[in-house]
Amino acid sequence: MRIGTTLVWLGLSLAIPVWGAELPADAAVNPAAPTKTLEPKVVVNSGRLEWIPFKRDLTAWPTLSHEDKRPTVKPRKVKLSAPLNGDPARGREIAQRADKGYCVVCHQMPGEEWPGTVGLVLTHFKLHNYADAAVYQQIFDPRVINPNSVMPPYGANNILTEQEIRDLVAYLQSIE
Amino acid sequence: MKRTFLIALLALVPLVAHGADPYREYDPLEKYEPNVRGDMKLSGSYRHWSDPKNLDWRMAGNPDENWKLNWKFMDPPFNSAVHGGHFALDRGEVLFKELNGKGRFAHCLGAKKGNLKGLRTQYPMYRADLKRIAGLEEVVEMCAAKEGRVLQNGSYDNSAISLFVASKSNGIPIKIDVAKGVMHDAFERGRKLFHMRTGKLNLACSSCHTHQIGLHLRGTVVTTPYGDAAHYPVYRTRYQLQSLHLRFIECNLDTRVQPLMPGSRAYTDLEVFLTALTNGYPVTVPSERE
Repeated sequence: MRIGTTLVWLGLSLAIPVWGAELPADAAVNPAAPTKTLEPKVVVNSGRLEWIPFKRDLTAWPTLSHEDKRPTVKPRKVKLSAPLNGDPARGREIAQRADKGYCVVCHQMPGEEWPGTVGLVLTHFKLHNYADAAVYQQIFDPRVINPNSVMPPYGANNILTEQEIRDLVAYLQSIE
Repeated sequence: MKRTFLIALLALVPLVAHGADPYREYDPLEKYEPNVRGDMKLSGSYRHWSDPKNLDWRMAGNPDENWKLNWKFMDPPFNSAVHGGHFALDRGEVLFKELNGKGRFAHCLGAKKGNLKGLRTQYPMYRADLKRIAGLEEVVEMCAAKEGRVLQNGSYDNSAISLFVASKSNGIPIKIDVAKGVMHDAFERGRKLFHMRTGKLNLACSSCHTHQIGLHLRGTVVTTPYGDAAHYPVYRTRYQLQSLHLRFIECNLDTRVQPLMPGSRAYTDLEVFLTALTNGYPVTVPSERE
């Protein structure tokens, strides 16, 4: 138990010279761990806080630290090259999976019993008659269309690949 | 000559710009009142939880309405049978008495004549010995170290002592002054951080907790940022005892933001901001949250 904590602290102290220009010194990371990002584990009746590897590596994006000098990715305008070549079935899966689009957190979509209510209702999406290019841009980086949009820039921040976004567009355009 | 000077000055511009802040995005920067009543201008849910002794328990059982109670129905005297927070409180009392044998520990925490009553309501505060603003858990770590004991910020035992100290202020309203000086600066930095977009999903705290209050994120309903700092450290089934900074880490991980260490400056600024938004609401521990 102690050895684990010591290793983490060693990792943290090593992190400063290696990552100094990049990751801020107050970030909870272990550069030696496969996913780098750490999550705390509270151990009952102990004065030490354990740190375990988190399932995702989150080190590539800006943190809340005052020392973090890495810029946010700027809004990116993209042009959709035809044909769309999207697979609606794959798109539907991406929309529901927590490690992919997870659109259902905010949007109401067919087949989801506990949808979010933050975003636009996406049932009967086809009736809107949006152009594929506009839907693609909205998912790739919605800030181009609305600078204050809460929706994450799935393409610009590398959350989804271009093909995955094409699949999502194909799925949305198929929802009657 | 003048032209040469101007050209030299222009050549310096990129150098200056290089040291400037990086590109960041912010949600529209809202104004907040440093008092819990400010929620009436934000979500309006305060009317349902302003009096902890007079909650409408019918709302607690309704998933579409319980967010309006800001989860205060899980504050004491909720389920006086037992939850883990009560065990932590007992542990905190034992540890506190061990450390405070000569009264130095309580003095170090800022208690006047060893009396802990009301102390929690003044944290976070500026500490001249640390030359910075610190939350209670950071000070517990420092004061325990003076007694030769390692109690890392965020550890169970550290939070247990913080919980015990807080319990001596139960029922007394939070009262930190952010009107001027370093506390005002920290409040403003915290307010800005609350609106700053970060992480893989490019979200700010305010993206949900200011602009989407009362709406669903799947099964979860978003609550107000007002009045939320009075029940920390809190018992959570997944995390056992959770300090406010550990809660920030959980928020960060949930929204895919690389978290910071407990006690980091950014988290302390956020703590000042959120505690000011709880001014006027009584300390209520030990509490449980989902």
